[in-house]
Amino acid sequence: MKKYKKNSGGNLLLKTGMVWTILLVATVLMFFISIAIGSVRFSLSEIWYALWHEDAGNAYVIIYSLRLPRALLAILVGASLSSAGALLQAVMRNPLADPGTIGVSAGAGTAAITILLLFPNMTLSVPLFAFIGAAVACVLIYLLAWNDGINPVRIILAGVAVNAVLGGYNSFLQLQNSDNLSGVLAFMNGSLSGRNWTHVRVMALYAGIGLFLAFLCIRNANALQLGDEMAKNLGVRVNASRIALSAVSAFLAAATVSEVGMIGFVGLVAPHIARMLVGSDYKVLLPTSMLTGAFMVLLADTIGRSIWPGTEIPVGIMMSVFGGPFFLYMLRKRGNFNGA
Amino acid sequence: MELEAKELQIGYGEHVIVENMDVTIARDRITTIIGPNGSGKSTVLKALTRLIRYQHGNVVLDGRDIQELKPKELARQLGVLPQIHSAPSDFRVGELVSYGRMPYQKLLSGKSKEDEAVVEWAMRETGTLAFKDKSIYEISGGETQRVWIATVLAQKPEIMFLDEPTTYLDVAHQLETMKLVRRLNRETGIGIVMVLHDLTQAMEISDHVIVIQKGKKYDEGAPEDVITAKMMREVYDVDCELLRVPGRKRPLLAYEQLAG
Repeated sequence: MKKYKKNSGGNLLLKTGMVWTILLVATVLMFFISIAIGSVRFSLSEIWYALWHEDAGNAYVIIYSLRLPRALLAILVGASLSSAGALLQAVMRNPLADPGTIGVSAGAGTAAITILLLFPNMTLSVPLFAFIGAAVACVLIYLLAWNDGINPVRIILAGVAVNAVLGGYNSFLQLQNSDNLSGVLAFMNGSLSGRNWTHVRVMALYAGIGLFLAFLCIRNANALQLGDEMAKNLGVRVNASRIALSAVSAFLAAATVSEVGMIGFVGLVAPHIARMLVGSDYKVLLPTSMLTGAFMVLLADTIGRSIWPGTEIPVGIMMSVFGGPFFLYMLRKRGNFNGA
Repeated sequence: MELEAKELQIGYGEHVIVENMDVTIARDRITTIIGPNGSGKSTVLKALTRLIRYQHGNVVLDGRDIQELKPKELARQLGVLPQIHSAPSDFRVGELVSYGRMPYQKLLSGKSKEDEAVVEWAMRETGTLAFKDKSIYEISGGETQRVWIATVLAQKPEIMFLDEPTTYLDVAHQLETMKLVRRLNRETGIGIVMVLHDLTQAMEISDHVIVIQKGKKYDEGAPEDVITAKMMREVYDVDCELLRVPGRKRPLLAYEQLAG
């Protein structure tokens, strides 16, 4: 029980500083690696030259128009999804919460699948409707869970029910249109392939707003961890806080789903890895989650598009296939982890 | 400073837990609420501090109904240590105590000089300053309880409410907690309201005792007037003798012997 006796005080600050430095360096390194490798490989000097010279020809097109926006998008998506997960875990006081719990994935999926399969001429507006679908599902779950206040168990149960209904509907539509599923599959297995600067700009706007709001949630997220009654005693409006944190979380998750489709696991796992690294205080946990998520998605996408020449493995699939075992490894190595 | 509840009725829908309860909590003294399991002790304590709603009646603090106060305003005057509370085990002690300052902080404001001074004061008063940089999992149950009391103390409340503060502690830590509570009351003038199960403890520490039976007030008054063999029989259905021990100011309770 008292295994980590020496882990205290200035030590903790030092540890957090080290973790942040390592994550930051790793992400920057990964950023350059992801720009360098792929079907065509570039050296650092070639990358540098191409970034500033439009006359670099092919290299300019590949680096500036394809790989750079994609890498930036991966970072934004990773940071957004992991923050969404971290906030939701505070709302539910449950380590298993992720944006899927509050219907974001199922809602976005329902909207996207409906359009892709029933109104294929509206395909261009999938992002918009996916966002709306996610928001509607989330609001629906909270309305159903509301009973003189909002409590985590009711949210989770209402979420299970709504997810089941939407999931059934989604499966039914897919069964009825089983010969026309490539668009749906691409959406369900989130992918960064073919994304351009427009996606980056939209996502940067979403993430900028969402992450800023997430930082404002830190103190209430911490207070919620002390139990509802203690939080109330400290003057926190518990219901309002839960709803505010959930709304920020849903916004971030819905934004990413609408831009790149569903990427599972980041929202669940990145905050956990961050928690194992720096503990449960959201002042350090939230930024650490962002960095962890950004690094994970960037890594997964880079491997996914370069491991198998000629084929791209969507980042959503990479996350699940490699994220799962890695998470288990962390879990077993650590034995027990803090705060959960 | 006075907290006054009138004709309080607390319950959920048809299910009434506490009814027609008048309670006056005077500052500067230690008030203890006692009563059997399920009698509604904690419920009253929660209603007095607005942790739960009540169906009828009102609770008035210094002439103002507590329903009219903003959550933070209330939190600056009444501090509660609920029975159920938890913190992630890696939270540091100093960090946890500093949450007691939340009622004084705005969304974007950091810790002020005053916040830091009060947090340090609260930790010194509760003897927790020494392990300020330790994590919760590194300290004992008794120490943890003192840290929580420090957190509530950092709110600088006029009255501090403690819901069964000694229930899960061993005798030494129970005594330590009781001594701390008494000293805080005597030295800082903070009013104390506690729910206690240990009646000898209640007898020893209280200035005023309220007995609750099946959601109604059975009696209240000075401990020796209220904790009597008659009350024990009627409220707890237990035979009991009150023993005077030379050198002790107040009697001890000896409960009926087990048969055989």
